[in-house]
Amino acid sequence: MFGRVRGLDVAEDAATTDTRRGVEGAPPARSPFERLREHRARVYAFPLVLPSLVAVLLVVFEPGFYRTANLHVLMQQWSVLGLVALGQLLVLLVAGIDLSVGAVMDASLIIIALMNRNGDHLLASLVLCICFGAGVGLVNGLLVSLRDVPPFAATLGTLACIEGGILVYTKGIPAGNIPDSLRPVALSGVGIVPYSLIICLVIAAVLMFVLQRTTYGRKIYAVGRSPEVAHRAAISTTQVRVAAYVMCSVLAALAGIVLSAYVGYVDPKIGGNYNLESIAACVLGGVAFTGGEGGVIGVLAGALFLRVLVNVLTLSSLNVFTQLIVQGAVMLVAVAAFQVIKRRTALERW
Amino acid sequence: MFNGLRSILGRRRLLILGGAVAATATVLLAVVGVSSGAKEKTLTVAFVSQGTSNSWAAQLDAVARKTAKRLGVKLVYFNGQGDATKQLPELQRAIAQRPDALVVVPLGQAADTGPVERAMSQKMKVVLCDSKVNTNNYTSLVNPDPATATVPLTKWLTKKMAHKGNLLYIGGLPGNGTTILYDQGFFKVMKQNPKVHMTKAGNSNYSISTAKQLAATAIASGKKFDGAWGVGGEAVTGIMQAFIDAKVKPIPPIAGAAATNGTLRLAVQNHIQSAMLQFPPADSKVCIETAVKAAKGKKVPKYINISLLPQYGNLYPPLKRYYKPQYSDDMYVGTDKVLNRSELAALNLVKKK
Repeated sequence: MFGRVRGLDVAEDAATTDTRRGVEGAPPARSPFERLREHRARVYAFPLVLPSLVAVLLVVFEPGFYRTANLHVLMQQWSVLGLVALGQLLVLLVAGIDLSVGAVMDASLIIIALMNRNGDHLLASLVLCICFGAGVGLVNGLLVSLRDVPPFAATLGTLACIEGGILVYTKGIPAGNIPDSLRPVALSGVGIVPYSLIICLVIAAVLMFVLQRTTYGRKIYAVGRSPEVAHRAAISTTQVRVAAYVMCSVLAALAGIVLSAYVGYVDPKIGGNYNLESIAACVLGGVAFTGGEGGVIGVLAGALFLRVLVNVLTLSSLNVFTQLIVQGAVMLVAVAAFQVIKRRTALERW
Repeated sequence: MFNGLRSILGRRRLLILGGAVAATATVLLAVVGVSSGAKEKTLTVAFVSQGTSNSWAAQLDAVARKTAKRLGVKLVYFNGQGDATKQLPELQRAIAQRPDALVVVPLGQAADTGPVERAMSQKMKVVLCDSKVNTNNYTSLVNPDPATATVPLTKWLTKKMAHKGNLLYIGGLPGNGTTILYDQGFFKVMKQNPKVHMTKAGNSNYSISTAKQLAATAIASGKKFDGAWGVGGEAVTGIMQAFIDAKVKPIPPIAGAAATNGTLRLAVQNHIQSAMLQFPPADSKVCIETAVKAAKGKKVPKYINISLLPQYGNLYPPLKRYYKPQYSDDMYVGTDKVLNRSELAALNLVKKK
């Protein structure tokens, strides 16, 4: 079931050792402490340690944070960023970037609003959103893989096309509404856990399984680390990249649906900040821009960290301008600290 | 008879007389033709718009076009595409066409200053619509003034709060001119209300989604709010939606919105006490009318404060008077006073039954 990638072990010995370990060869029994000492484990532990540290500090400085209502709101907001960031992770793993996720989210909202303007066509509109996302991902993937368009330029172009298309179609006035039947996706849930977070966590679990336990997952890491080597190992880099872009856009469309349900009002710029926030969540979660490095848990932790930061600043009632400075500074410190840990572990490996 | 004349005057004299009569008639016809042509000459107004980048701009453009048609002037449209850097070459192109008047909706306060001054030096009439530039060298400025309009709104809000309690504040876009003016009026009144404690939840950046997330977090903190203030329609819509979704009852009074049919709908349907100011796209009617007046050589005021015109004043409860259920959420108050139903339908502003 979890077959070896042909020729990978020959062509790419060191690069894929960690991802294959525990799947094919029986790893030697190690204590948790020993495992933590391992380079990669130490790097990936950072995104988990960071929110934990923040959580402890919050108990002391912002006890209101742990109110049930606040945790519910936090989970609602985390689920949206989590979904987008998971998609961005896939693209970053193949050494790409997707700047069109925000536009796909905007388009999802517009599709839902327009299709439900004169009656309830919720299911059809949701299917169309997902299909639209897949289409955008396909275009992005093909541009990057077959035409060698730099991912930055390709996805920026797609963003402009989508935003322009929305304006042409709606003449700047979307004038629809979000159906009430969609709203429980974000507003209701099991206990304090909203359905949107359950959806996000299920997708994350599937993605983690795919990335860590399947051939396709190993191909993604291989293509991200060295497309040439992966190509020599008979991996279709085009297929892997296109699939990553398609998945990314589909997840962005899903996030757009969830956010539409959460906001409940036609805001044509709903995806505004999510391009950069999803990338920031990935970077905080240990994903490398160079590709082939990072994982699901780190990205979810990065997204949670960003949402907790905004949440705490909102609760703090600091001056709104100071909030911006604090937000930026904390992110800078977090990313810088992470890079230091990464560099040290890399040096230790030498 | 002709033969008789020829015999009296002689052939040569007759020819001279005929030529003189013909020349006089030609001159007279030319003079009459020019003067009647001058009466019918159509004025040209160049309209450098923000570009149809959102519902506000779409309504602004539609009202401007209709007003120009009504006044019988030729409106040449230049699309700013919602971006100061894209609007600048459009503005330069408009000036190069040497229209009788130029109406600009400036997107770049600094960037547009040079071209506006150049147009003025070329004896063009320049009307700034809904935003300023960094010079006083223009013909007229038609603009709402949030700095003064927010003062009575804030007074209304603090009165509703009995001048004490917790107030939720969500800002606009840091550094943005309108946000700064909003804050000027708001904080001026707040200084006189020391017993009102503000919770500054953050900036909405004119996004409903961001405002909703910030407001939802503030509400979830457990703090009881006695009032809320949002900078702009997006912030207030987000605040209202957050209170509604959090099932807070009764929802405290909320102020600060630029009135749209959507914010009015939320307020009316959820029994929210709310006061709003107007940032009406329908004011492009005033912009075009002022430009035409100026182009005709009539005197126009240097500054027309839209907020002081009765039809564009603040809205206070009961808001049912202003809400139009037959129109969509995107319609700004006042647009339906200029555009008829079919024109509104063409803009997707009419709800289908």
